[in-house]
Order: sequence, then C-alpha cells, then structure tokens
Amino acid sequence: MRRMVATSLSNLGQCKFEEAANGLEAIERLVLGPADLMILDLNMPEIHGLDVLKFVRARPLYESMPVVVLTTKGEESVQTEAMAAGATLYLTKPFTSSELVAKVRGLLPETSDEG
Amino acid sequence: MPDPVPPSDDFFNQFLDDYFAECEEYLAVVRRDLLNIERFVGQTDIDSAQLDELFRSFHTMKGISGMVGLPAAEQLSHEMEDYLRVLREGNTQLNKKGFEALVEGTRVLGEVIDAHRTHLPIPDIQKSIEALQTATSVRNAKKSTASYSDPESKDLMSDEWRFLFVPTQARSDAGINVNSVRARLQSLGEITRTTPLVEKGDVVFEFIVSTTASEAELEDLNDLGLTRSPVNQESETVLESATTPTSSSTPSTQTHASSVRVDLVRLDQLMLLVGELVVTRARLEQNLNSVRASVSAADWRSLQEVNVTFGKQLRDLRNDVMRVRMVPISEVFERMRFVVRNIARETQKRVHLDLSGQETEIDKFLVERLMDPLLHLVRNSISHGIESEAERLSAGKSAVGQIFISAKTAGELVIIEIGDDGRGIDVESVQSSSGIQLTSADGEVNFSDLLKIISTPGFSTRKEVDRASGRGVGMDVVAKAIEELDGELSVHTERGVGTTFRIELPLTLAITDALIATVAGQTFAIHRSSVYEVIEIDPSAIKVLENNEIILHREEVLPLIRLSRVFKLPDKREGVLHAFIVGSGAHATGLVVDKVVGLREVVVRSLADPLTDVPGVAGATELGDGRPILILDVMEILDASRRISVSQRT
Repeated sequence: MRRMVATSLSNLGQCKFEEAANGLEAIERLVLGPADLMILDLNMPEIHGLDVLKFVRARPLYESMPVVVLTTKGEESVQTEAMAAGATLYLTKPFTSSELVAKVRGLLPETSDEG
Repeated sequence: MPDPVPPSDDFFNQFLDDYFAECEEYLAVVRRDLLNIERFVGQTDIDSAQLDELFRSFHTMKGISGMVGLPAAEQLSHEMEDYLRVLREGNTQLNKKGFEALVEGTRVLGEVIDAHRTHLPIPDIQKSIEALQTATSVRNAKKSTASYSDPESKDLMSDEWRFLFVPTQARSDAGINVNSVRARLQSLGEITRTTPLVEKGDVVFEFIVSTTASEAELEDLNDLGLTRSPVNQESETVLESATTPTSSSTPSTQTHASSVRVDLVRLDQLMLLVGELVVTRARLEQNLNSVRASVSAADWRSLQEVNVTFGKQLRDLRNDVMRVRMVPISEVFERMRFVVRNIARETQKRVHLDLSGQETEIDKFLVERLMDPLLHLVRNSISHGIESEAERLSAGKSAVGQIFISAKTAGELVIIEIGDDGRGIDVESVQSSSGIQLTSADGEVNFSDLLKIISTPGFSTRKEVDRASGRGVGMDVVAKAIEELDGELSVHTERGVGTTFRIELPLTLAITDALIATVAGQTFAIHRSSVYEVIEIDPSAIKVLENNEIILHREEVLPLIRLSRVFKLPDKREGVLHAFIVGSGAHATGLVVDKVVGLREVVVRSLADPLTDVPGVAGATELGDGRPILILDVMEILDASRRISVSQRT
C-alpha cells in the first residue's frame, strides 16, 4: 500500500518523500524534520492512524499541515472522526493513483521541496 | 475466477509491480513467522506478537489484493486472517492440521500471486480455503469457557518497566530510531503499550514493557539512550524517578491500542444500565410535571432546560453504547462467499454471488445468530433454486446462476434479502402436497401462507435428498431463528424467475421506541417499528363481514382486530377509536385500541418465566410512573386472531 502511494506521488515531481512503516515512525519522522504534507493510512500497526493524527495536530508546528487520510470503504464513521480530528481530506480505498495525485497536488504550495 | 487484468497503462503496471514487490516482502515475513511458530504446535502459550504480525501481513495482503483485483489472493488471505484471529483470541490452540493449513495456504497464495504476474491461469485455492475453514471452525466445537483467560497469570513473574525514548537527528543517523528501539525492547519481553507523549515540548515515546529480563540485560539497553523506570503493576501509575519527569497530564495522548476486546456480557450490562437511566429520566420528567404549578416560570424554564439536555445526552449515550456493539454485516456476508463456492461445487452448478450493503452495521449479537439462517437460505437458493446448466440454457437464461445477498437499514430495521434467479418455488406442488389452497381465483399467490407451509418441520417437495439442503430441514430452522430475533421473514417467488427471501430485524433489542395505547383502562405498548400508520376510526364506519370487522381505508379493505376482544376486555362504547395499521399490502390489519397515548422510549424486559409465557406478549416495560406495562407481539396476535376467525367460520 505504502509503496503504491509512493509510486503514485513520484509523478508529482519536485517533491521529497519520507516513508514511515507505522504510526510511531511517522511521528518520529515529523519530529526530526518539517513536512509540508502528510498522507496517513488509518490502518497501521502499532498505533492507529487517528491517534497519530490527533498527536500531530496537537503539535504547534503541524497545526496547519495538510493531512490526507486513507480510509477503507465502509468505515464512514472513521472518516467523520478523522475529519473531526483535523484531517484535511480523506480518500477511500481503493482509489486510483490519479485521484491521489490530483488531491495532493491541490494541497501543496506552488513550489515545494519537501513532502 | 476473472482473468488477470490486462495492463491498461504504464501507471497501472507500475502499481502492479509495487503490489508484487509488497506481497513478496509480506510473504517473506510470513514464511519466517510460520517457521517460528511451528514449535508452538500443540502448545497453549503461543507467541502473540508473532501471531499479530502474521495477522497483519495477511490483512494487508487481503487489502492490496482487492485493490489490484485479484480475488483469489484476497479470499485466501481472508481465510488465513480468520484462522489467525481465532488463534489470537486463544479460543483454540494451534494444532498440526491448522499449522499445515497455514503453510499450504501461504504456498498457494504465493502461487496465485505468481500466476497473476505471469498471466497464467490462477491455481485453485478451494482446497486451501477448506482446510483453513476447518481449522477455523474448530473454535465452534470447543468454544471454551476460558476464552477470556486471566491476563494476570502469565505476567505473574515478570516486571513492568516504563521506557522513554527521545528521537533526535543524531540518534536517527546512528540507526537508533523508534523502530529499532521497539525491536530491542521486544526482544526482552512483551511491549504492552506504546504511546507518543510530549514532555517539555519534546516528543517522547513511552514503551511499557513487561519482561523477565535480568538487571544486566536491562543495563544493556543503555546505549539506546533510553530512560527506564519501574511501573507499579497494581495501579499502573508511574513511579517518579529522578531522571524522568513524567507527564501523566497529557490524557489526549494516552491512547495506546487502536482497539480493545470487550466481553459482550459487559456491553450488555452497560446497555442495561443505560436502560435503567432511561426509565429514571422518564420518572424524573413525570415528577417535574407534577410540580410545575408550584414553581415560577423562570425556574420551570431552567429545570426544563436541564431535563431536555439530560434527555438528549442520554439518547446520545444510548446510541454510542449501541454503536459499540455494531459491526459491519460483511462479517457474515464474506463467509457466504465460501459457502456459495462450496455448495456450487457440490451441486456442480455455476453460481455468481452478488453482495451489496456490506457496510450495513448490525448488533454483534445478531452476527452469530444470523449466520445459520443465512447459510440455510443460501443453500436452499443454490440447491433448490438454481437450475442445472442445461435447464437454464433451455429456459433462455444465462448458464451461470445469480445469487444476491443485500443488506440495508430502514429506520430502526435492518433488511436483508437473499435471492436467486432460479426456477422459483413450485407453488402448485406445495399446494398439492400440503392440501392448502395457496392461490386465489385470479392467480395471486398467498406468500405468507406459502412461507408457513415450507417452514413446517419436515416439509419437502423434493424427491431425492441432497447433501447441501437435505430434506425439509432448514426452512423451519430459519423461520424459528428469525422469530427468536424478533424479526420477520417473508418470501416472494415467481415461477422461472426466482425466489427472494427477506429478513427484517430490529436494530437493537434492548431499548426501543414504542407506541403506548389504552384498552379498557389498561395500558399496552407496541413496537413502533411494526406500525405503519396510526388512524382514527369512527365506529359507525366499521362493517361486519362473515364475523370479521372491516373498514375502508385508502380505498382498500382493512380487516380490524379489536385488542379488547383479544384480551377479553369490554369494548369501548362511545367516541372514536384508534387503530395501528400493522403489516403492509395485502396483509395490512388494523389493531383497534381505545386511545393512542403517545410515543415513548421504552426498555424491553423479557418475560422469561414460562408461567408468564403468554402468546401475544413480547415483553414488559415500565413507564415513568413505575407502572409495569406489557409490550405486545403483533405478529402473534395477528396469527392467533386469524386462527380464531377461521375456526369460527368452520
């Protein structure tokens, strides 16, 4: 899943990506370096995506960073919860890579060097 | 099995490449973990971390296989996941057969993915799936009472430690990061909780580890830059240590795991408490109303405000507690996929299954109880409904039979439909073997009577018995199971076109909205979900036809049943009557009461005592004033009245 997202995003160009295998790692990555945008799968090992989102949103540095959450079809209540917790938008799996790219492109600043 | 999806564009190819790579990785992990758990075959103390990892690996493979449209891999992963779930829950121990099913399943899964990559035919997964399903279903055979084993026992000898890890760039460059730290801690014991915290503006990861490791082993961790403090097991509070200022003041980040397993009994208890609160609030409201005259308008308004807020919050609480119990019906439906495949194979028919509404949520309580009835219905549909291929072709149908299962919610009801495009029920044959007239003069079939006959224990028109549906067993089981769930079963069938069974179930059984009515001074309640309409009746408009009272309603004849007569109470002599219209279409009936009092939220208490098992009474509840009242079982009353009117006619 992660790899597929990364491949899709490589189409964006001019962006730098960092991947995290789980929620803890995601938080660590954000602590070690700033990011312009986060794509967050809610179903992750170790710590639920929603908790990662809540944690990240509580950090002043990332208050306004766009966060795209990936949810599974049929989890409408989770989507609502994610939006309430501060997700910028959500994508329901399965999605096409062009959908993802279009959404991400809309959220990024004109020129960016990190993502 | 669909053919491999033809490559449509470069992008999709890249996508697929990633899928194969990712599966490769997961399969590697799976093979490693399987080797590791082999030594637990026949043991009870299986390594749960490894099971978790296996479970997650298959879960992910299921998800991504679905994304690339490889159902065989999806199904196989799903079954593996299912079996691992059972193992994880500790309901069954890993035996040799189960282990072999896992190994074989992994092998076949690898082959399926390879075949997809090389555009070769997908190998058959049925055998693996059956082996896994057998392993999984062992749980049912020995659903042990000790499924919630005492969590204390295994940690009796181990200590709990709290480790704090502060990630920094320097540490990250040196390869020390949250993952490596976690791996090291995992090698020492079980990580029971991992939480990101903020301390003095820094992000800190907290690991709670339960371990039997010696002090020296723990000292070895120092190169990771961890701070360590013991955890007081009883209260789970953290002992203050000089080096680690603790911040238990960040409750928002204290979320550890993404989910908790809760015994259903506890949820029932919670629901019961909520139910009692509902009754207490009703009582409060009644008391408030009785003091209304003696308080000032301003006081009254503020009292009323609190009362209304209380009511709203209570409703929210009730909904949330209910939601905790809700699970998507896909849990049941997914199971049907395999049932359909198996029976189709047994009966040598080709069947396509169409599932819809899988996201519909139902009470966990219903999940287990629905499995059997649905199974029977699906079996019937395939073995009785769907014709043989030759028969279908000569009838101008597609050779592949269609089975559809759908679910949706409507108000407080869940509606599940199971249908086929088969030959339909042979009404004439049912008619002749039962001796009961089922078609009216103009050829209209009385479906509810038809259902009753085919649900009679032992009924069958089939000459030879087949394995899947047997003879005459099934429909009576289905009807009984649905009745026990307070649901309604109906059928619609058309010769040569197909048969559809429809199940309507209440969303929840404990608290419901009820209409309150009085009959000769007695108060009764009836489930709102069973009432289609409430009407006012002018007694002079009632006509008598062959001992039955009827009325014209919306230009249709509506038979009436007076509750007063059902319960042998005096009829109301003056003024208008009210009636609940129950049942729809040709089965609509007016249940006549003296007066409808209103709509209330009531807590249903079942009357389990056999001495009070009165036909027509579904349960009891209490109103705000503490008076107990009876909740009527509409279907039983209708049935009973029909029997009476039939016996009077003859």
